Amino acid sequence: MNKPKKTIEVKVERTIPAPVAEVFDGWLNPKIPGNPWNMADKLLLNPHVDGFFYWTVHGIPHYGRFTEVKRPARIRHTWMSPNTSGLESKVTVTFKKKGRDTRMTLVHSGLPDTDGGRSHAKGWNYFLDIFPGQFAAAPGRKK
Amino acid sequence: MDRLSDVLTAISHPTRRAIIGNLANGPARFLDVAKPFDTSLNAVTKHLKLLERAGLIARKKQGREVFISFRGEPLREAAVWMHEYERFWNDRLDRFERYFQDKKITTKQNRKKI
Repeated sequence: MNKPKKTIEVKVERTIPAPVAEVFDGWLNPKIPGNPWNMADKLLLNPHVDGFFYWTVHGIPHYGRFTEVKRPARIRHTWMSPNTSGLESKVTVTFKKKGRDTRMTLVHSGLPDTDGGRSHAKGWNYFLDIFPGQFAAAPGRKK
Repeated sequence: MDRLSDVLTAISHPTRRAIIGNLANGPARFLDVAKPFDTSLNAVTKHLKLLERAGLIARKKQGREVFISFRGEPLREAAVWMHEYERFWNDRLDRFERYFQDKKITTKQNRKKI
């Protein structure tokens, strides 16, 4: 199997209006809307170090292994799905106190940097075809 | 508008995409940029202004002439934003944030009732 050589990193941040521990627990609670487990059709979730998760949404499987569960500061786990093209990508979620709220940062790294994985937007491949060199030197991408 | 919106606006028009495509081959003077298009110079100027606002082109004076060059970084940023996992996690976290916002409002309302 030919694996993509380049990977990409996605970083998303939000300020959640709740204390850190509550947000941390909410992220691991499948009943809370917004976390990835909440959208599952079928879910197996064992959020402990070396515990596994498996979930499907619209029949598409996602699975991984928890590598760090440090309440209430950080959660790390691997993430595999058809979109990771066989790569074991990594998700790190950190929770930091920000006044009365919580600053939440999610980094999803090791994602394949393929044309198909990069975008579904109509017409975008036009640019990817013309300017491949422009994207090659993107920061945060590992070679 | 934010930069991403500016970039998406800039690349939404076929003439502007063609201009970018031509400039990707190297810098050019204004009249050379305008030459392939069957449109007024004024219209080309407007297209260039939108591309400039998005940071997709830069102007540099060399002697008496001004050269227009393509800059790819904003496109890369847009590509990263468009990554499906970027959208996936943004959607997830938006919903997660909304849950806690709604919960906070409900808690306040319940306190007022008491």
